[in-house]
Amino acid sequence: MNIAFYLLSALAVTGALLAIRLRNLVHATLCLMFFFISLAGMYVLLMAEFIAAVQILVYVGAVGILILFAIMLTHHITGATRERISSRGWLWGLGAALAVLFTVLLPVLLLSVLPAAPATPDFSPSVRNIGLSLMDPYTITLQVMGLLLTAALIGAVAVASTSVRPQDKPRT
Amino acid sequence: MILNTLLDNPDQILVNLFHQGAALLQACPALVIALGILLSTVPLVAIFPACFAITTWLERKGLARIQNRIGPNRAGWFGLLQPMADGIKMLLKEDIVPQTSDRLAHFLAPVLLLIPAFTVLSVLPFSRNMIPAAADTGVILFFALGSISTLPVFMAGWSSHNKYSLLGGMRAIAQMVSYEIPLVLSTVTVVMLTGSLNTVKIVEFQQVTHWIEGSNPALQILGQVLKWNVFTPWGFTGFLIFFISSLAEINRCPFDLPEADSEIVAGHLTEYSGFKYALFFMGEYVSAFAISGLAVTLFLGGWSGPNIRPWWSEDPRALLIPGFVWFFLKMFALILIMIWIRGTLPRLRVDHLMAFAWKFLMPLALINIFIAGAYYYLPHWIGWPAGLIVIYACYEGLGRINRRHLGPKRIYRYA
Amino acid sequence: MVTLQQYLILSAVLFSIGLLGALTRRHAIIVLVSIEIMLNAANLNFIAFWRFAPHPGNLHGVLFTLFSIAVAAAEAAVGLALVIAVYRFNKSPDLEKMNSLHE
Repeated sequence: MNIAFYLLSALAVTGALLAIRLRNLVHATLCLMFFFISLAGMYVLLMAEFIAAVQILVYVGAVGILILFAIMLTHHITGATRERISSRGWLWGLGAALAVLFTVLLPVLLLSVLPAAPATPDFSPSVRNIGLSLMDPYTITLQVMGLLLTAALIGAVAVASTSVRPQDKPRT
Repeated sequence: MILNTLLDNPDQILVNLFHQGAALLQACPALVIALGILLSTVPLVAIFPACFAITTWLERKGLARIQNRIGPNRAGWFGLLQPMADGIKMLLKEDIVPQTSDRLAHFLAPVLLLIPAFTVLSVLPFSRNMIPAAADTGVILFFALGSISTLPVFMAGWSSHNKYSLLGGMRAIAQMVSYEIPLVLSTVTVVMLTGSLNTVKIVEFQQVTHWIEGSNPALQILGQVLKWNVFTPWGFTGFLIFFISSLAEINRCPFDLPEADSEIVAGHLTEYSGFKYALFFMGEYVSAFAISGLAVTLFLGGWSGPNIRPWWSEDPRALLIPGFVWFFLKMFALILIMIWIRGTLPRLRVDHLMAFAWKFLMPLALINIFIAGAYYYLPHWIGWPAGLIVIYACYEGLGRINRRHLGPKRIYRYA
Repeated sequence: MVTLQQYLILSAVLFSIGLLGALTRRHAIIVLVSIEIMLNAANLNFIAFWRFAPHPGNLHGVLFTLFSIAVAAAEAAVGLALVIAVYRFNKSPDLEKMNSLHE
């Protein structure tokens, strides 16, 4: 059990680091997919199989492919043009992120009293209860989610469609 | 003693082997776990590549006979050693990688295509108690792992640094992503009426249990066949939508525009030679097996077939002809239909392909969900004809709505 | 046995990696990728707390994560559509150049 956790967390951290650091965007996106898959493995370790399946289905199967298509359509793949900011700005970003990590997140975690073992050590996860919960207390949330996804679909198609109006001529 | 248990219940060979091995190895629990894992995965890894070899032979002979020629008949009796000859040829071919290609992605793409293809086989029940990974969320795990296979297609197309590969890869992903929606929606009806995502429960739902455990052989046979999901109006429509979408998911004819020789020089597979091409080929065929296996599980009753209980056995669920025989028979029947369709139908153009998914199959799948819901609540004598009439009306209506975009009907005259 | 603290530390580290990417990179798509990393770290947090909670029959954590995944997918779609539209206008995905609403 521990080996699986350490392996998956090493894969996740490596994937995330490479995803934000690699200059070649397609490689960065492929590392991001490995990150998503390792997080799905982590969800299986935490007995949330349905969420693991949804994570792979939505993130790897859809969002990842969407990012790849967007990269294809914006053509700046290999970073031949300098698209990282200069090193002075880079250190400020690193400093800010490390400051958030070490002054806000980690102290709260290390100083709070957290359960060391799960309260119910083994129970079989059941999708039936998720379905029942979606119908009973979470009905409105489900409908709002459907509306949100429809709005996002229509909005994305409307924004990215290629009808260029005369007053929007591209700048050279 | 082993022979006795084998003959007692021929269906449960592997399960009995596991129990006997576990009894022998009782001292060391780690070895028992290892035995379990071996007995689950080794048959899969051994049988499916053998099925792949048989299917390549079947396909070449079948297509040849449909096209009024003979097909391979040199490499052994009736060409049966042709898959072996193909394998040796692929292994000995020179592995050409373009110089400007992206080495890592080019190398990993065939491997990453095979991983989901084999992994999804683990949620299919091959017989009673014979499922490698009994997950409660089997169906959605199948679709989740299957949707990973769009990624290596993109990697293959992009890493080859070739405009035909890129174009083929983009079209392939667009097609695979579009046809995932009717695929998943057509299985929602089965999941809805079974009440579970567990593939074992879905197969058990399609069997009339009290007839099977009774003593009348005729009822035993009928009880395993009558309640298949394909014999209901929503199940039949769902099966057709699932089958057509699965043809598009694995890039097979008539949806094989991304890898068609006459269109785009093998598309995303252009720059692959030798063993890597064989791996892609194998990935496509094993995906075909996996998705046919899921179609068999969801719609055609899984491992149940016209069986009677052997008269010498005390187990009320024992079967004379093992369940996995029926599973593989049905799966091969679907593969034969896929080969038949490949030999018969012309290829779809890319805009027709996308219009078919979004404007015909998806609305039909959504209406199918409504029909399934109505079928559940109405009594059978209303639900059946009403379902059939509504589905046929929607099929006709959607066909007429979409017909405007197709152009005038062409008349062919043969010389 | 893996304690809850280890899961939370992992999720904190992943969140700060995402934050680092969002603050330092100049390419609009990589910033969206970093936002996805941050959202995923938060989802891991929810599921870890759900697992270690005294009543795992209480499915709030799981459902929140489900909705969070759906919202993240919708946001990625709209964000990438916007990046494509702005790229078509500016001919560059550089965030430094996207600093005026009108020419």
